[in-house]
Amino acid sequence: MNTIIDRLFANTTKIVALSILLIVAWIFATLLQHSMESIQALGFNFITESKWAPNLEKFGALPAIYGSVVSTFLAMILAVPLAIGVAIFLSELAPEKLKAPVGVSIELLAAIPSVIYGMWGLFYFVPIIRDVFGGIGISMLTAGIVLSIMILPFMAAVTRDAMNTTPDILKESAYALGGTKWDVIKDIVIPYAKAGIIGSFILALGRAIGETMAVTFVMGNVHKISMDLTAPATSIPVTLANEFTEADSGLYYSSLFELSLLLLVISFTIISIAKFYFLRRKRVA
Amino acid sequence: MATIIDITEEKALEVRDFEFTYASADEPSIKKLDMPIAKNSITALIGPSGCGKTTLLRAFNRMHDLYPGNEYAGEIIFKDRNILTPNEDLINLRIQIGMIFQKPTAFPMSIFDNVAYGMKLQGIKNRTELNDRVEKALKDAAIWKEVKDRLKHDANGLSGGQQQRLCIARAVAVEPEVLLFDEPTSALDPISTAGIEELIVELRERVSIIIVTHNMQQAARVSDYTGFMYLGELIELGKTEELFVTPKEKLTEEYITGKFG
Amino acid sequence: MTHTQKRIIVNNIVMVLSTLSAVIGIGFLLWILSVLVINGVDALSWSIFTEEGAPPGYEDSGLKHALIGQLMIVGVATFVGVPLGILAGTYLSEYGQKSKLAETIRDVSDIMMSAPSIVIGAFVYAIVVVPMGHFSGWAGSIALTIIMLPIILRTTDDMLQLVPSTLREAAFALGAPKYKVITQVVYRGAKAGILTGILLGVARVAGETAPLLFTSFNDNFLNTDMNEPMASLTVTMYNYATSPYEDWQKLGWAAAFILSMFILSLNILGRLFIMKKKGK
Repeated sequence: MNTIIDRLFANTTKIVALSILLIVAWIFATLLQHSMESIQALGFNFITESKWAPNLEKFGALPAIYGSVVSTFLAMILAVPLAIGVAIFLSELAPEKLKAPVGVSIELLAAIPSVIYGMWGLFYFVPIIRDVFGGIGISMLTAGIVLSIMILPFMAAVTRDAMNTTPDILKESAYALGGTKWDVIKDIVIPYAKAGIIGSFILALGRAIGETMAVTFVMGNVHKISMDLTAPATSIPVTLANEFTEADSGLYYSSLFELSLLLLVISFTIISIAKFYFLRRKRVA
Repeated sequence: MATIIDITEEKALEVRDFEFTYASADEPSIKKLDMPIAKNSITALIGPSGCGKTTLLRAFNRMHDLYPGNEYAGEIIFKDRNILTPNEDLINLRIQIGMIFQKPTAFPMSIFDNVAYGMKLQGIKNRTELNDRVEKALKDAAIWKEVKDRLKHDANGLSGGQQQRLCIARAVAVEPEVLLFDEPTSALDPISTAGIEELIVELRERVSIIIVTHNMQQAARVSDYTGFMYLGELIELGKTEELFVTPKEKLTEEYITGKFG
Repeated sequence: MTHTQKRIIVNNIVMVLSTLSAVIGIGFLLWILSVLVINGVDALSWSIFTEEGAPPGYEDSGLKHALIGQLMIVGVATFVGVPLGILAGTYLSEYGQKSKLAETIRDVSDIMMSAPSIVIGAFVYAIVVVPMGHFSGWAGSIALTIIMLPIILRTTDDMLQLVPSTLREAAFALGAPKYKVITQVVYRGAKAGILTGILLGVARVAGETAPLLFTSFNDNFLNTDMNEPMASLTVTMYNYATSPYEDWQKLGWAAAFILSMFILSLNILGRLFIMKKKGK
């Protein structure tokens, strides 16, 4: 009897575990299947065409791709130096009494849903951008800034964790040669934690590029490639969030699914690079 | 109650009335300690774990200052000044008083850059000078032959014993006056240990050495003077050959004959 | 000026910059938090919990519909996702261990945890909403389950691996079959960790908006039929906040406040569990 239950239990766990792989495969297959109409009708033009006009049955994803790339790039440019600064502060600089409370608050802020960041952006940041840069305030720039603030807590927390893995004795060795705090950070801590730091930045990039709610509020969903950062724009997730429930033709649907597939492939690739190249999981001994 | 030998030669360091209290502790870990350190000789610190020998060692280059809240009292005289004052220039002090740790601490950079690191911190950029001094330091640390063909390789590819020699090379490269060894062979195999001990003895020509060790045989093999510490106090300081043969203090005798510790 | 003096000056500049960036970063976050609290508390009232949604301009409008919808959608997702996640995590830690299959499942779950959630929404739209012909609470729950699954799976896996193998061996030595060793000994040893994983998993999906946009959709009135479109706090917040009506925007802030407090409490609770465990 025990052997039967034993085998049953083992097999149940295995089937459920395997279902994860199945679901992921199913997601890819479904998105691909629903994208077929668009892939066949538009081919490669889908990603090179810059005109997106559903009423004319024109579906060019370039503005959305451009918007995703530029807004994420802006977010990274702003967030990376801040995250490193915060991480240095938390791991090497802050008085002991501040380390824990500030560190924990940053981690808790990383748990606040992105929709809240988006809402804050809309009500409090859009007016500032409007006053400072002119325009309507809803723009690529706003999206980049809100996105950077949203990913900052996550980036700062993981960068700090990576820096904290540097053994004390290694840091002491550098101090013992007459190094200043900054010498030790730039010559020992950062090189030692390099893989972890870069990996977490790329992971943050992967998350940022797929982020929907933080940017949907403040980007405007305008399918136009503009060099003016203060002009409204769109990104892949923003397009999906705004138009998915409005799609009224087969090709429109299908091209939205192709956008989803594209987004999934892009983020899978970025996250895989971060995971496998930089953050190879340390085996639990 | 402590028996402290008079040191006739010139002194590298002199500890006077020294007390040390960790930030997390109420009681001082080292109490009213006096100790002379002879120049160009090797002084070993022995004693059971927790006796304060590493704590004392880390006071000589003010390593304790890296962690807030630790408190010093008394004096440590180095070059006619008390180095425990708040306005002591720690960077300069640490250049003059180097340290080797319990475990090899190769930095995440090449073998060459490891040895050159201290010099680069001092602003030495001249390539030929760096090359010469790195070569000399590696020769002093008896590791030049093993690494001369792979100076650009990552230092972490070296064996533990080699890494510890590299760390010694790195420390002597900046030409310190004192070198502190904190159980330098505790992570090494017997053959590497013998090599490091030999090296320490050779270094005495140029620097004054203080070595903390949990291994009494090691203290007996390498040192000129030995200090025995117990419960934060220096119980006895004597010439090594005398201290191990005819200890003056009962506690010392009990410790070296293995009655406790 | 000597090189060392230069180094000290550079050091001081960097330390000031680093502190400054910490102040800027934390300042922004405090700003968001205070905006949330000020607007949220201002918008809170009893009627929020007792009234349903109403057209703009009506006095008596609240978030009852969204609160109940949120609880149902997240509740169902938790009810399904937690046991499945624990079972799958059990396989990884206790059976698969370091096998190629187990490692692959770990890798894929890690990637899934960071994958864009809106894509999960699109997937569920295709496999549930399209065949059913309409949006539904079920579809929302399915999307959240898919998001929750890898989180529970990986924390369970990690937490079970932390249980010392001597504990398992001791139980095996008493002649216990493996399923009993796992359910009666290993699970017990990892209880606090798994619980924390569940809390963090629930906290994570409770804040998801994007995957609900075209699965559970929205409903401005109370609906408890999971077969129908259903309101959630997050989608309601989005719709109200982007509306031009001030009273709706106010309700949006109330929703944001309630949701954030809920998620923060779960996170803090989860931390306390782990801390209590470590304190022992």
